[in-house]
Amino acid sequence: MGTVLTHPTTRFLVRRLLHSAVVLLGVAIVVFSLLQLVPGDPVRIALGTRYTEESYEALRAASGLDRPLIVQFLSYLGSALTGDLGVSFRSGQPVTQLLGERLPATMSLALVGILIGLVIAVVAGIWAALHEGRPSDAVVRVGSQFGVSIPDFWMGLLLITVFAATLGVLPSSGYVPIGEDPGEWLRHVILPASAVGLVAGAIMTRYVRSAVLDVVAMPFVRTARSKGLAPHIVTFRHIVRNALIPVLTIAGIQFATILGGVIVVEVVFAWPGLGSLVYNSVETRDYPLIQGAVLLIAVIFLVVNLLVDVLYAAIDPRIRLS
Amino acid sequence: MKRITTLAAASATVVLALSACSSGEAVDIGASSSSSAEAGDTTLVAAIAGEPDQLDPHVTSAYFSFEVLENVYDTLVEPDENLEMQPALAESWEISEDQLLWTFHLREGVTFHDGSELTADDVVYSYDRIIDEALTPSWRFAAITEVTAVDDLTVEIEVSAPTPNLLALIGGYKGMAIVEESNVESGEITTNPIGTGPFEVAEYTSGDHITLNANEDYWGGEPSVDSVEFRFISEGSTAITALQNGEIDWTDSVPVQQVSTLLEDDSIEMTVAPSTDYWYLTLNQDREPWDDVLVRQAIAYAIDRDAILEATTYGTGVLNQLAIPEQSGFFTEYDTYSYDPDKAQELFDEAGFTGATLDFLATSDYPETVTTAQILADQLEPYGIDVEIRTLDFATWLEEEGSGNFDMFMLSWLGNLDPDDYYYAQHHSEGSYNFQGYSNAEVDALLEAGRTETDTETRKEIYAEAATMIADDVSYLYLYNPAVIQAWSPELTGVTARADGAIRFRDAEIAG
Repeated sequence: MGTVLTHPTTRFLVRRLLHSAVVLLGVAIVVFSLLQLVPGDPVRIALGTRYTEESYEALRAASGLDRPLIVQFLSYLGSALTGDLGVSFRSGQPVTQLLGERLPATMSLALVGILIGLVIAVVAGIWAALHEGRPSDAVVRVGSQFGVSIPDFWMGLLLITVFAATLGVLPSSGYVPIGEDPGEWLRHVILPASAVGLVAGAIMTRYVRSAVLDVVAMPFVRTARSKGLAPHIVTFRHIVRNALIPVLTIAGIQFATILGGVIVVEVVFAWPGLGSLVYNSVETRDYPLIQGAVLLIAVIFLVVNLLVDVLYAAIDPRIRLS
Repeated sequence: MKRITTLAAASATVVLALSACSSGEAVDIGASSSSSAEAGDTTLVAAIAGEPDQLDPHVTSAYFSFEVLENVYDTLVEPDENLEMQPALAESWEISEDQLLWTFHLREGVTFHDGSELTADDVVYSYDRIIDEALTPSWRFAAITEVTAVDDLTVEIEVSAPTPNLLALIGGYKGMAIVEESNVESGEITTNPIGTGPFEVAEYTSGDHITLNANEDYWGGEPSVDSVEFRFISEGSTAITALQNGEIDWTDSVPVQQVSTLLEDDSIEMTVAPSTDYWYLTLNQDREPWDDVLVRQAIAYAIDRDAILEATTYGTGVLNQLAIPEQSGFFTEYDTYSYDPDKAQELFDEAGFTGATLDFLATSDYPETVTTAQILADQLEPYGIDVEIRTLDFATWLEEEGSGNFDMFMLSWLGNLDPDDYYYAQHHSEGSYNFQGYSNAEVDALLEAGRTETDTETRKEIYAEAATMIADDVSYLYLYNPAVIQAWSPELTGVTARADGAIRFRDAEIAG
């Protein structure tokens, strides 16, 4: 027991979890405070028009909005700790349930998207770095610059125009859960995931390229080469492996960005994920839903970061979890 | 149910103009919809521009909810295609001599989706629920003093004063649906409502779709299609691509910019029909100099409505000068205002107006308001009016409107049936939507008289007079009636675009 607790990995994890809890509390406070500053009365929006004074007061009381702010926040925090994020103002359904329904769709989109991005970035980035200064390097650099400059929603509309409208080979919208029909899931996820993946790929390509270039310049690569190792062994075992570390960081950040920021792409593709949920709940001032969604995205961010750190150590034994 | 869309469609602006709908055959009373005896499932896939907030008809105010609920619920009476009230759950009704007691006779053998029988108690329960809990449509019961079940199939509604528009009040939209007590008690009604309508809710996937299955026992005859799947696609170009691609059969998520191109596309059917909705401008009469009727009239002459119509609807709307459109029985001729810069200048001079800053409340959720504001800024500048455009999201916009924090705004009303819907709340001194601060004792008297006048011809005269005064005083500066725009596959028949935006799929058929 004692040895487990003092093990560096455990200590690292415990510290990181405590750290995460503090971050989450901060996020909750900031989101709650910001929502108070946003104009727009959620009760009025929820009731629509032509409501009566009584129904206004009734809903206000039912939503707990008539209580002092600090009471509202503390009771929110208390329930959140037990996994209860409240009920949506608009639909009256539990926030956790609504988030749970949307999470798989967003996860599908983000995972396939980051995978597409990574494949593009690793292939193009390594290729460009190993051909530094040559025309193929220039092509990759221009291409990635182009990809970075394109907004993902525009990429989405472009993909819809080509693959759905013109070629008619892929659906333009909709989502099929992977458990229901994996083939259809893939057909539906490929366009929106490409929209985010191509942009993420373009961003990451530049990192991969410069990471590989950095490693190539290191003394141990020269040593490896001078030992007479075959070029592909030097490339893959020495260069790529070491270059992956910074790439992992940026991939983690990109993944989290996709998770938290696919709002417009989800709207374009009518994708039932967290992005479109946040979009709708902001418009309707559905406070419990906004708070819940932001907290969930923050949790995912923290988990991804943690995983990246743990993976570091797995890839490079020199890195200590500390 | 005015402005329902407005609120609802906060996310999908265009939709407002595109209320939509289907199913011609208004009220079919036992009429035989062709039954789908053939093998093979026919599913009608309909893309609407947003997701319902919830499915409790008495609570929601979202147009997207009603697009679905129109097919799930029934009301005692309902509007046909010409917006005349027809029997629905009530087969017939009579009014007492003194006009204070309405007796409704329910159709026999109507069942809810769970098999239970519809009785007069369900009607009483539904109406009492709306009144007692002060739910969204409770204002419609202002004149009603009591609802009682006389026997299983007879309901009496007692009103405090003659209420000529009672049928429109109780049947105008599905917010007045007859619901089932146990469904409400269990709380299921928000996601799995049980009605008596042609379709029943079979599946609801948040953010993606709602599937309805045909109700074999529907009193109006079993629908032709086996099921209807409502998908939520807010991006109009995505919806149109999906339609052209054969992924969906019907949509009202159509970008107005694409209408002229789409009308020439043989692979889809399209309707651009006049609606009863209207867009208007209004000036804050609690503020100077807009409290001066001469200044307001001057502005009415200074505005080029054609330019606004073209820029906002791409020619799909119809200009108007009063709220009620031409196709209605309550239409009144009126053409006082036209684009006339000289006349405008004359009136400004007469008012001693030398210039002002105008705070225009626009909302990014309805881009037409921003476009119009830009046109106005250009058109009013020569008169020394500096239009400052304040673009807000709709939630904030509503707050500003409600607190009277504006010089001018543009918005729309929709779902109007009776003339009372068009004028009372907006222009009566005590009207709940009289944000512009209009007050005219004569108009107040007329609007009150119109509410209780039972002779239709006299009523028409009352509203013609009131509407004319309202327009003369420029309480609202009417702009245009937008079109109901819908597109569907040629395989789909039995759907019609209705002026009230009700989406009825009970008579829809899919070939092949």
